[in-house]
Amino acid sequence: MHNSEEFKIPIGPQHPSLKEPVSFSVALKGEKIMGVGIRLGYNHRGIEKACEERTYIQDIYLVERTCGICSHSHATCFAQGVEDIAGIEVPIRARYLRTLVGELERIHSHLLWLGVAGHEIGFDTLLMYSWRDREVVMDILAMLTGNRVNYGINTLGGVRRDINAKQIKEVLKAVDALEERTKYYIEIASQETTVIKRLSGVGVLSKEDAVRLGAVGPTARASGVERDIRRDDPYAAYAEIKFDVITDNHNDVYGRTVVRLKELMECYKIIRQVLSNLPEGPVSVKVPRKIPAGETLSRYEAPRGEDVHYIKANGTEKPERVKIRAPTLANIQAVKRMLEDRYLADMPIVIAAIDPCFSCTDRLISLERLESKKKEIMPWVNLHAYSIEWHRKRGVDFTKLNKKWLRYFKS
Amino acid sequence: MAREENIVQELNSKFSFLEGKIRIQRQRRIFLEVELAHFKELFEYALKNMKFSLLSAMTGLDEGVNLGCIYHLASDDGVTLNIKATFPKENPQIQTITGYFPAAEIYERELIDLFGIEVQGLGPGNRYPLTDDWPKDEFPLRKDWKAKGGQDA
Amino acid sequence: MAGIKEMVNWARIKSPWILHFNTGACNACDIEIVASLTPVYDIERFGIQLKGTPRHADILVCSGPVTRQVEDRLVRIYEQMLHPKFVVAVGTCACSGGIFNGCYNVRSGIDKVIPVSAYIPGCPASPKAIIDGVVKLLESLKEENKGKIKLPITIK
Repeated sequence: MHNSEEFKIPIGPQHPSLKEPVSFSVALKGEKIMGVGIRLGYNHRGIEKACEERTYIQDIYLVERTCGICSHSHATCFAQGVEDIAGIEVPIRARYLRTLVGELERIHSHLLWLGVAGHEIGFDTLLMYSWRDREVVMDILAMLTGNRVNYGINTLGGVRRDINAKQIKEVLKAVDALEERTKYYIEIASQETTVIKRLSGVGVLSKEDAVRLGAVGPTARASGVERDIRRDDPYAAYAEIKFDVITDNHNDVYGRTVVRLKELMECYKIIRQVLSNLPEGPVSVKVPRKIPAGETLSRYEAPRGEDVHYIKANGTEKPERVKIRAPTLANIQAVKRMLEDRYLADMPIVIAAIDPCFSCTDRLISLERLESKKKEIMPWVNLHAYSIEWHRKRGVDFTKLNKKWLRYFKS
Repeated sequence: MAREENIVQELNSKFSFLEGKIRIQRQRRIFLEVELAHFKELFEYALKNMKFSLLSAMTGLDEGVNLGCIYHLASDDGVTLNIKATFPKENPQIQTITGYFPAAEIYERELIDLFGIEVQGLGPGNRYPLTDDWPKDEFPLRKDWKAKGGQDA
Repeated sequence: MAGIKEMVNWARIKSPWILHFNTGACNACDIEIVASLTPVYDIERFGIQLKGTPRHADILVCSGPVTRQVEDRLVRIYEQMLHPKFVVAVGTCACSGGIFNGCYNVRSGIDKVIPVSAYIPGCPASPKAIIDGVVKLLESLKEENKGKIKLPITIK
């Protein structure tokens, strides 16, 4: 049995960041970022290996917990892949229900992001507002699937639960209420000069860079790259639904905010179509326990971008290989580019703008000041405070804004 | 399936070594296998002449005697070209594709850590996703690697 | 001396400061922890505040099955907290490894690394369960409950 000393990694002044796999090592000249190194691996739990040791049905539940925010994305992507290999035709009603839950997930994820972005720039009232609205979606999801998160609605061959007329009414009511609130957020984003000033020109990613660096999701769409799996490579019920792919040409964090807010409006549109055109029929078909040999690539437009699963079956009841490429991994290269030649104070919101799906709490920044060769460590919470203060000195102050909106909030 | 068939026809006519190695798995899914020696010209052709502009993922495989890597490329109209390159486990060496896709670096680091594939041309950099103190000759995603008792230690 | 002790205990129970730490979880429990701060659940009405550094925290609220990368840092954070300190394991992964039990790279539970005072299972643990767990922990600290409520607490 080992004792903890065998695993001590040398912590020296040279490489303090080696201990923190989710860490950024930033080379600074004054306050400008000259280069960023990103260290990941924090959440590596060995899911792909574990998938090979469990059956396909068990894997749906495991894969769902790759990420707690886009759990349905992973579960559906996986189930679709397996059904593809087995040559199973999923009933149309089930595909519509998967779409419904997928769009509800997108709503909760974007509202979550809105709150987090607000928090990162110092606009905490936005966090409180948007997360309160998010609870409406969580309640709907709990009503439909039995859980607020990690819904477990998917099974191989369809979905596990059906929806009744009463639930449909509830969903539509909630969507109406959320649409009003979203219009309100769009108003804030387009008219509050403090918000616009703070988010514009930050985290710039040109269209060429977005394509070259393989950015996906709202991060890419805010740079004018029209990539959306729902339209380009339709799955579930998307081939039968009319919706717009939202792009923006600001190329910055402001653009990413606009894209996500407008996508919320599209979500409401899609949900209404799904519910008014919901076909009759069974919600699942039987799938054999042993999946015949074969392979496939399954793609899904998660709230953060393209989620890709490669699955290989070998005729047994356990998969041969499961590969999961979550959207944040595709966007992380773009973050390095966005931070180059920018100020340290912009780091929190730029990183938050790609909507990263690793823990929000423990991110460590190690700074190397190029002129003095001094190294220091800055915990995320300190960087957050530094960023807000830095911008406040330059006229972007959210304290008054927080008070102003809080008045409406309390009424 | 016209689009997929056109792609297959074009690739077959250009590269004779693909004879019998391409198949259309379904709508918008083309899978093909290629020897490592022919990989580069095929890859470049797909990027430059066939508009596969997005590298979606890179999947490492353990096929017993050989290791493999599937490069999943996607075009703007949703068609994916999945190119599998295999190479012997005794000498798993491939070239980096970061010249074409800088973002491939993180996928290549994953292959190095989890399969023990050697990627030529990749400069120094942080490991991903394993810890620095993970033993250098243990590759978790290889088929013969089992989580040992006390692996939680 | 007794008066100061009582006052410190009162301050601790009336306004415990918590540090939230994710040891490699899928984020679901963490989002639920943050959600418990938002208006619908509002854990701040119990005087609970989220703090940034271990030196200020009374309670360490942890989620996740403890990956190898994070293990040493978890121990360091625990050691930096000042006595008396309590650890709350939020979520099934933090309690026992959950669905990741037995995976390589995972320690399968926070109590394999540091002592835990309260277990809140759930996948994810709902904000109501989290508040229940933290409040029960605080109840057990009250003078009149000394010896009556045994730690660790498990929420059903």
